Amino acid sequence: MGFDFKSSVMWESVPILLIGLKWTILITIFGLAIGFVLGAGSGLLKISRNAFLRKLAGVYIESIRGTPIMVQVMFIYFGLPMALGMRINPMVAGILAIGLNSGAYIAEIVRGSFQSIEPGQAEAGRSIGLSHFQTMYYIIWPQALKRMIPSLGNQFIISLKDTSILVVVGVGELTRTGQEIIASNFRAFEVWITVALMYLVMTLSIAKLLNYIENKMDINK
Amino acid sequence: MIEIKDLIKNFGNLKVLKGINLEITQGEVTVIMGPSGSGKSTLLRCINRLEDITSGTVIVDGHDVMDKKTDINFIRTEAGMVFQQFNLFPHKTALENVTLGLVKVRKKSTPEANILGKKLLEKVGLADKADTYPEHLSGGQKQRVAIARSLAMRPKAMLFDEPTSALDPELVGEVLDVMKQLSCEGMTMVVVTHEMGFAKEVADRVIFMDEGNIIEENTPEKIFTNPQHDRTKAFLKNIL
Repeated sequence: MGFDFKSSVMWESVPILLIGLKWTILITIFGLAIGFVLGAGSGLLKISRNAFLRKLAGVYIESIRGTPIMVQVMFIYFGLPMALGMRINPMVAGILAIGLNSGAYIAEIVRGSFQSIEPGQAEAGRSIGLSHFQTMYYIIWPQALKRMIPSLGNQFIISLKDTSILVVVGVGELTRTGQEIIASNFRAFEVWITVALMYLVMTLSIAKLLNYIENKMDINK
Repeated sequence: MIEIKDLIKNFGNLKVLKGINLEITQGEVTVIMGPSGSGKSTLLRCINRLEDITSGTVIVDGHDVMDKKTDINFIRTEAGMVFQQFNLFPHKTALENVTLGLVKVRKKSTPEANILGKKLLEKVGLADKADTYPEHLSGGQKQRVAIARSLAMRPKAMLFDEPTSALDPELVGEVLDVMKQLSCEGMTMVVVTHEMGFAKEVADRVIFMDEGNIIEENTPEKIFTNPQHDRTKAFLKNIL
């Protein structure tokens, strides 16, 4: 029995997949927004002078990095509601999971970039009378941010792909939408290729965009 | 101007400064020499509290740097620091390096700061480099921008931590020239350097340090022609 590739199936599935893709993008954007705030915060706590705050950030980062994202998603969607006595919207659970997860990795990126700035930079800042905060804000942060961009881009791409794990809690994102189409037309080959291409277009766009930003910042070095 | 009494500085178990006493008067140029690890740079860094001191007192222009009531950011504008590695801000132009402190610490308006900044760059011979980023400057030019950056705060004293040690030999002169000019204008200067020529020409006093102590101090002529301590003799023999 020969395999009969039908490109028409691909074109027909696109409009439906675009609905899922919209949710994938929204979850990624909101999740990363939370992740960036969490990551910048806990990354800075990790290098603060207060030992308790360092420890606190450490516990968060280690417990996220040390457990699978699948387990984190299940815990937030199925576990937490039992303790809280209320149900969580799967979309909200998904955004939370992506945010919490990416936050831990972004924290390490932030910490690493800050620590990579030569101590002489902070000393020079303090030497002209800038306060600790001013030195961080005007001297260290702009240089660290620039060094973060490649790693941040990488994390954005990882988080975008991680949203596909949310099928386990029934979020109607791109992967889930693909599954649903296949359940009705049984054309797994064509549909999964289409889904894969859509992810690829998104991740390549992120990579291109960050490349552009990086070059742009380099000119103004 | 600067008064140091019984200054002791330990890094953990390592005793870096073992009881330094030193008084530097207004307008004086003091050169500190000594082998690496003798505590020269640490002494300099204790003066503007880039290092906390373990015990003793450091008084800059009447302010005890370790006193909780002293505004340390203020002390640091009083005693400007120039580093071996320049430490220019790479994301800012030469002019922005100079004006940052004027705008953020001295609260000057940007146009006002720019006028002052350009004057200072002119003073160090770099008026034409105002809009250049540090990566396009030579080592000597970077160090001159760094000096201008410190001068912008109108410090009462300048601390130089091996300002020419990271430079190609042919670029040393341009930095020393700026420093000589400053001393002529009456700036109080403490300079850690091994530039004998500079010390002979400009210094009022040379201090020789070894293993955390000041072991000899004298005028440059006397210390170079007739060193008293064996350690000083051995050191001078090696750098000549």
